[in-house]
Amino acid sequence: MTVVPAQQSSGSRGGSTGLYDVLELILDRGLVIDAFVRVSLVGIEILKIDVRVVVASVDTYLRFAEACNRLDLESGNSKDPGLPDLVGEITESGARGKSKGALAGAAQSVSDVFSGGRDDEEEKESRPRARRSTSSSRRKEEQE
Amino acid sequence: MSTYVYGIARNSPALERASRTPGVGDPPRPVRVLSHGRIAALVSDVTEELRPKRRDLLAHQNVLSEAGTAGAVLPLRFGGMSPDDEAVAAALAEREEHYLERLQAVDGKDEFNVKADHDEEAVLHRVLADDPELRAMGLAQQAAGGGSQQDKMRLGELIVEAVRQREELDRAEVQRALEGAAVDSAPAPEGSGRVANVSYLVERDRAEEFLAAVTAFQQANPQLRLQVNGPLPPYSFVE
Repeated sequence: MTVVPAQQSSGSRGGSTGLYDVLELILDRGLVIDAFVRVSLVGIEILKIDVRVVVASVDTYLRFAEACNRLDLESGNSKDPGLPDLVGEITESGARGKSKGALAGAAQSVSDVFSGGRDDEEEKESRPRARRSTSSSRRKEEQE
Repeated sequence: MSTYVYGIARNSPALERASRTPGVGDPPRPVRVLSHGRIAALVSDVTEELRPKRRDLLAHQNVLSEAGTAGAVLPLRFGGMSPDDEAVAAALAEREEHYLERLQAVDGKDEFNVKADHDEEAVLHRVLADDPELRAMGLAQQAAGGGSQQDKMRLGELIVEAVRQREELDRAEVQRALEGAAVDSAPAPEGSGRVANVSYLVERDRAEEFLAAVTAFQQANPQLRLQVNGPLPPYSFVE
């Protein structure tokens, strides 16, 4: 769980934490006044992977069955999902990289923002799926 | 030159505080308070060729956050521009009563956005623990060294369906667990791809209670990963 601390007292500084996670609010919600025009969002690319969390398909069925095979069913207890190595394992397990990703992959509502300027070239490549880890590292770079 | 609009607030001298925050544009333009009657807009000059960059999104957010410390503010969606100040004043005048009503509704409250995703391994454990038949099938398949392709398909299909049902249950349970500490809620549009993606409007003096509810719910539901962002300007509660 991530709780982004209050940014209200800081004002000019420190507002970058969690910008990625609230982008959809800044860009898609908020008041719209009909008489105003909206700044062109050219140069900003929001990739939204809108898929059901679990996609019913042969691939998914097999993947879940395999995942079930790897589970320790004897213990019956849920492992602590907060363990970092578990997070890594799920990330690596392949769901995220496939177009029909289930769960861990598809659960990401990927909305990535490529700001203009230096990101332009990368943006044109229009990758099929923006990975969160990628955007995180970019975010760090841009904080500089 | 156009007028970029960040948000609308009650006309108050305290609003000047927000004008110390740098606005959008490169270089950032100073933020101004444009008042009309009982309400005011936070604005700054902007050139026509403003391109939305990361720092502009941040500036939008920061101006609104700072203004929020002075009182209720209705955040505009990023990128709202008016041809000039007069047009902003006209827009304020046109719906003054409506804006005042909305300002009243969000007064003393912040938005908290909650996203919930399933943890794959934990949710598998959960659905297998909840369904003895499914668990028996899983155990049998493991005992058989993985089972045939057909067995896997059958088990996989049942698990997928169970996880899907768990999604719906969890979506409802997130809502049930958190709505009590909030005064309003607004789900993200359909198809967010998450188990839940809901914004809550929370009274400022109950924020701790709300966050405690999130923490308690997370602890009781290891199959979910919850992410909370807030306090935020009430983006989802302006209409």
